[in-house]
Amino acid sequence: MKYETVIGLEVHIELATESKIFCSCSAKFGGEQNDHVCPACCGMPGMLPIVNKRVVDLGMTAGMMLNCHINRTTTFDKKSYYYPDLPCSYQTTQWFAPVCVNGAVEIETSKGKKTVRIKQIHMEEDAGKLVHDDWTDTSLVDFNRTSVPLIEIVSQPDLSSAEEVVAYLDRLKTLLRFAKVSECRMEQGSMRCDVNLSIRPEGSDKLGVRTEMKNMNSISAITRAIDYEVARHIDALENGTEELVQETRRWDDIKGKSYAMRNKETAGDYRYFPDPNIMPVVIDDAWYQRICDALPELPELKKQRYITQLGLSEYDAEQLTQSRAFCDCFEEAYAICGAAKEAANWLISDCYNILNKRQQTADQLSISGKALGELIKLVAEDKVSRGNAKKILSAMFEQDLDPLQYATEHGLVVSNDTGAMEETVQRIVAADPKSVADFKSGKEKALMALFGKCMKELKGNCNPQVLREMLLKCIENA
Amino acid sequence: MNTDTLQKLEKLNQLCLTEAEKSTVTAFFDQQADLFSCLEQINTENIARMVHVMPILTVVREDREIKLFTRDALQESAPETHDGYWQVPRLIE
Repeated sequence: MKYETVIGLEVHIELATESKIFCSCSAKFGGEQNDHVCPACCGMPGMLPIVNKRVVDLGMTAGMMLNCHINRTTTFDKKSYYYPDLPCSYQTTQWFAPVCVNGAVEIETSKGKKTVRIKQIHMEEDAGKLVHDDWTDTSLVDFNRTSVPLIEIVSQPDLSSAEEVVAYLDRLKTLLRFAKVSECRMEQGSMRCDVNLSIRPEGSDKLGVRTEMKNMNSISAITRAIDYEVARHIDALENGTEELVQETRRWDDIKGKSYAMRNKETAGDYRYFPDPNIMPVVIDDAWYQRICDALPELPELKKQRYITQLGLSEYDAEQLTQSRAFCDCFEEAYAICGAAKEAANWLISDCYNILNKRQQTADQLSISGKALGELIKLVAEDKVSRGNAKKILSAMFEQDLDPLQYATEHGLVVSNDTGAMEETVQRIVAADPKSVADFKSGKEKALMALFGKCMKELKGNCNPQVLREMLLKCIENA
Repeated sequence: MNTDTLQKLEKLNQLCLTEAEKSTVTAFFDQQADLFSCLEQINTENIARMVHVMPILTVVREDREIKLFTRDALQESAPETHDGYWQVPRLIE
């Protein structure tokens, strides 16, 4: 029998805020254990939550990016469960009136385009972290992550393969990074995914027994887990190897197997009820409009504009629009230097290489577009050689600087002293009669060797065209 | 309220009821269920959900990080700590 896979995802995204969702503690990743905590996020009695406005801003932004309806009156609810990393014994989340509902996102796979419906996006707080200490046979609790703001994006069960899941996650990542909702860094846990999966005979409209795999935080693990789980379900149905039950499972990526964690809870088990400590959040027209106005141009529209209006190639436009930071830097640099292709080249090639060496992602690009534009202008005006411009660019990644001022202070400005150039050229030519003879006998490479020696001697501070002409003239007379 | 539901509620609430308590609780829940059955007969179509009994909104704050407490101060009353962590009985899923 042929089967089809039905997958729905719950994706948790850590929001890019300075402080936590209900208190003013730092929401930064990491830090000394229990250093980002206060009585409110530790669940001490009598503490009251105060909603961080930016969390609602980012929740709405995510919803708008994913074509959702925004609930203009949205409320918080308590979800009860007991675990030591949850100090209040309930999680404050949204159940009855989540901030966004009924969205859709288009993904592209090898089989073409597909629309994945979004059921809802709700805002909630994260839980803390537990470390199990074998030495003392106890568990150690770190509340730094407690109350860090999250949104949970719940899809409808519209996905049917690991490939589609990866395409969907990539699309979410691109859109949410573009809108600066989150860094979506799976390796740091700022994007985590629960996979709800079942299989059914092809063509059937009845859903099979569903299992959930929680907290998957790498694309490769998600792919392997889905493939394993599909095979397990089919084996259970075809060969009766086990009875499929609705449950939560844990994926062990090293062993390449999933294990039952607990029977799946139903909503009733969590005893959701409206949080009496948080009054409804009402999003008025001005607030709604402010978020609409701040939405970024979508990456595909940006790409099209770069091609049609700025004359970039499809490849360059595609590379730039992978990252909002690259786009912002490119547009600012282009406004200064007016050379779109040059600005794109510097970013895609030189900046990307430097980021790679620093083990940073494109979204972590920290140089200013204004400085990059000025640097490109200096090269175009022959004030700085390209080689020296690369040195200045490297320095720009270390500090915020003015390229011309830096070039002047470090002796990187092209010299107009033709006397010094003339003297250097004559000295190099006289000292290397073999290269001169080689060039005269037709070996072009010999000229490059002489050129390189001159450039090195002059520390790159000369106009390459003038130097070349001077060199040719000198060889001719030699 | 049937026996299964009552057992489930006992488990969720980590309770162990006596037979007498079970019959009191069952009677109470049956009474509540009857009340809800009455309420369910009211036509609520096209009526917006009431989000709160009072016409008041929440107070929101700006996203600013403020450190108000030190770890040591917060852990002063903790029964057990270890290397900056709160220490609790071992818990493995």
